[in-house]
Amino acid sequence: MRIAVCAPQVPFVRGGAEIMADTLVDELRAREHEAELVTVPFKWYPGTRVLDQSFLWRLLDLTESDGRPIDLVLATKFPSYVVRHPNKRVWVLHQFRQAYELDRTDLGQFSEEPRDRALRRSVQNLDRIALGEAKRLFATSRNVAERIERSTGLAAEVLPHPPQELPYRNDGYGDFVLSVGRLDRAKRNDLLLEAAALDPGLRVVIAGDGPDRDRLEALAAERGLNGRAEFPGRVDEAELASLYARCLAVYYAPVDEDFGMVPYEAFLSEKPVLTTTDAGGPLEVVTDGRTGFVTAPEPAELARAAGRLREHPDEAQAYGLAGKELAARVTWDSCIETLLS
Amino acid sequence: MRVAYYSPMPPERSGIADYSAHLLPALRERIEVEVAKRGRTRPSRGTDLALYHVGNNPDAHGWIVEALRKRPGVVVLHDFVLHHLVAGLTIGRRDGHGYLDAMEREGGVVGRLLAHGVLDKRIPPLWESRPEEYHLAGEVLDLATGLIVHSRYVEQRARAAGYEGPIWRIPHPAWPVAAAPSVSETQGRPLIGSFGYVNASKRIPQLLEAFARLRRERPQARLLLVGAVSPGFDLDRRLQRLGLSDEGIVREAYVEEERLWALMAACDVCVTLRSPTMGETSGSVIRQLSLGKPVVVSDVGWFAELPDDVALKVPVGADETETLYVALELLARDEQVRASMSAAGLELVRREHDLGRAADLYAAALEQAAGGEAVASAVLGDVAAAAADVGIEAGSPEASELARRLAEVELGR
Repeated sequence: MRIAVCAPQVPFVRGGAEIMADTLVDELRAREHEAELVTVPFKWYPGTRVLDQSFLWRLLDLTESDGRPIDLVLATKFPSYVVRHPNKRVWVLHQFRQAYELDRTDLGQFSEEPRDRALRRSVQNLDRIALGEAKRLFATSRNVAERIERSTGLAAEVLPHPPQELPYRNDGYGDFVLSVGRLDRAKRNDLLLEAAALDPGLRVVIAGDGPDRDRLEALAAERGLNGRAEFPGRVDEAELASLYARCLAVYYAPVDEDFGMVPYEAFLSEKPVLTTTDAGGPLEVVTDGRTGFVTAPEPAELARAAGRLREHPDEAQAYGLAGKELAARVTWDSCIETLLS
Repeated sequence: MRVAYYSPMPPERSGIADYSAHLLPALRERIEVEVAKRGRTRPSRGTDLALYHVGNNPDAHGWIVEALRKRPGVVVLHDFVLHHLVAGLTIGRRDGHGYLDAMEREGGVVGRLLAHGVLDKRIPPLWESRPEEYHLAGEVLDLATGLIVHSRYVEQRARAAGYEGPIWRIPHPAWPVAAAPSVSETQGRPLIGSFGYVNASKRIPQLLEAFARLRRERPQARLLLVGAVSPGFDLDRRLQRLGLSDEGIVREAYVEEERLWALMAACDVCVTLRSPTMGETSGSVIRQLSLGKPVVVSDVGWFAELPDDVALKVPVGADETETLYVALELLARDEQVRASMSAAGLELVRREHDLGRAADLYAAALEQAAGGEAVASAVLGDVAAAAADVGIEAGSPEASELARRLAEVELGR
């Protein structure tokens, strides 16, 4: 099959969604499909730019390329699914979350002015139309599926995606809690730093880069965490695998996250995951006392959970192994079979 | 965002007052609402938008239409046919010319002549005899910057009447089921309930005839008629003619909410018939579905849109009584049908008539109404400017293509 995988691009920014789209193309090619990544830059501010830029996708003609038909379009993240194609399938990684659960929070984008309120509704309406056109609609997690159902009335099939390929291994249970991902406020790394401030025995490594990095480093310094909070920046695959292999546990507690690959990556390294009751998607795989700990989004609670794992590495191992069993079931073979069936 | 809210409110006795009292707390969790005092028609300062609940009762809604005239806004059209309202606002205020003008506007010269006939009392009032032909919703539609309706029927009629503004269809929210005391004195096998005015447009003559036939075969069946008898409708004589004894019929006039729920809960089947329809949604039927009651309705308007597994629908016309009898007989006989209709009704209420969902849809509609035009203009402006930058001129095929794509995703309008 000739398949166009559609994903937006935020120039100079790379995260889980970009890795996933690249990997999807690779995995399709490995199964002898002709696959290509189609991408358009996305800027969502100011004002109605979010709609203008979404509309660019609508102008693309992906019915054929160079005189040969494109059999299938697989769109992933907002606004790539605004694209039109007679055989459009959508595997929703993210909607435009500022228009949904992030609205009226610190992470929101729309003010209380009538124009901004209407703009938010227009984004939702665009979702309703664009997702409604899909011949098949998948969501990367139950959290995403439920949001789609609530906001558009459309039923999406839950299809978790596998984590990125890394040389996963386990080198034991070290003395630090690892956080991996783009450093923005939604990932809530400040909670981890505040927990470290409460527990002098807690060391944290926050890998990744992003707009929140300066603030986080300043916070770490303010709390006197020098030496106990490391910011190695963006790390390569080998270093990332090594960090996963050596850490005690992995922290992953964004605000109502759609899903994220981090829990599965932790599990494949046999590491437990620390998350919070309001983290959304991660709660579908992180079960308190089985594959990690789910605490209230409070530094003290988080510090207590990390302390427990430090004192009981046998528990950390047991939870990590239970997680690995879960993660092993999510494979590209099964995903691609479902996507193309 | 702040919305000025015009509606009859309790203690006024009106279905729309009950509706607003039920909706408002949930709506206030989503947007700021300022409820206008009854009779206050001056535009409310500091609000971004006005919302007007319009129904057919001139006493309850006359002042709301006056407020709408001063400041156009979003109209919740509870009835499509507003003839009775307009008659009240014109003839009822000794403004015969106003009525003539309203009828001419909708029905041309013929309409004006008919209106003269009404004013001269040469023909029966058209709001009773021919309301569907002369809905008189034109003025309200002209003033409405957007419409909220409860049914596809009203949406279609508004479009057919030429309304081009945005329309949002929001299902009537269901009330929480009241824990009412059981009504032990009212029994029947089956007990069939009819709630609302007792008159010809509620198809009571047809119901009585169908019930009389059912009772000949099922002497223990009883019909509960709850509601005031309309002037000029001789219920007693009809009952006598049909041989329906006191044992077969239980009558109650206006009942308070608690008693209403208790009586509905006691019924095995509820019947709500209507013709002609004004396009209204029945709060009674919503309550009955919330209680899991199988319902029999007329196959008209909003009632016709109820799913087939929830309601047995009786077409209005020649075989109406016969069809109604067959429906009642089936429900009297088959407990399984009653049970499956009950389950389907409860599911429908859960899925479609949830209060939170209705309030969400209201908030979305009002936000779109208040700022949607500005958003659409901005998008259109950006796209047009970008097109002009690369030499795409208005009216060119490329510009048409852009317009088509914008329309597909409802942007730029």
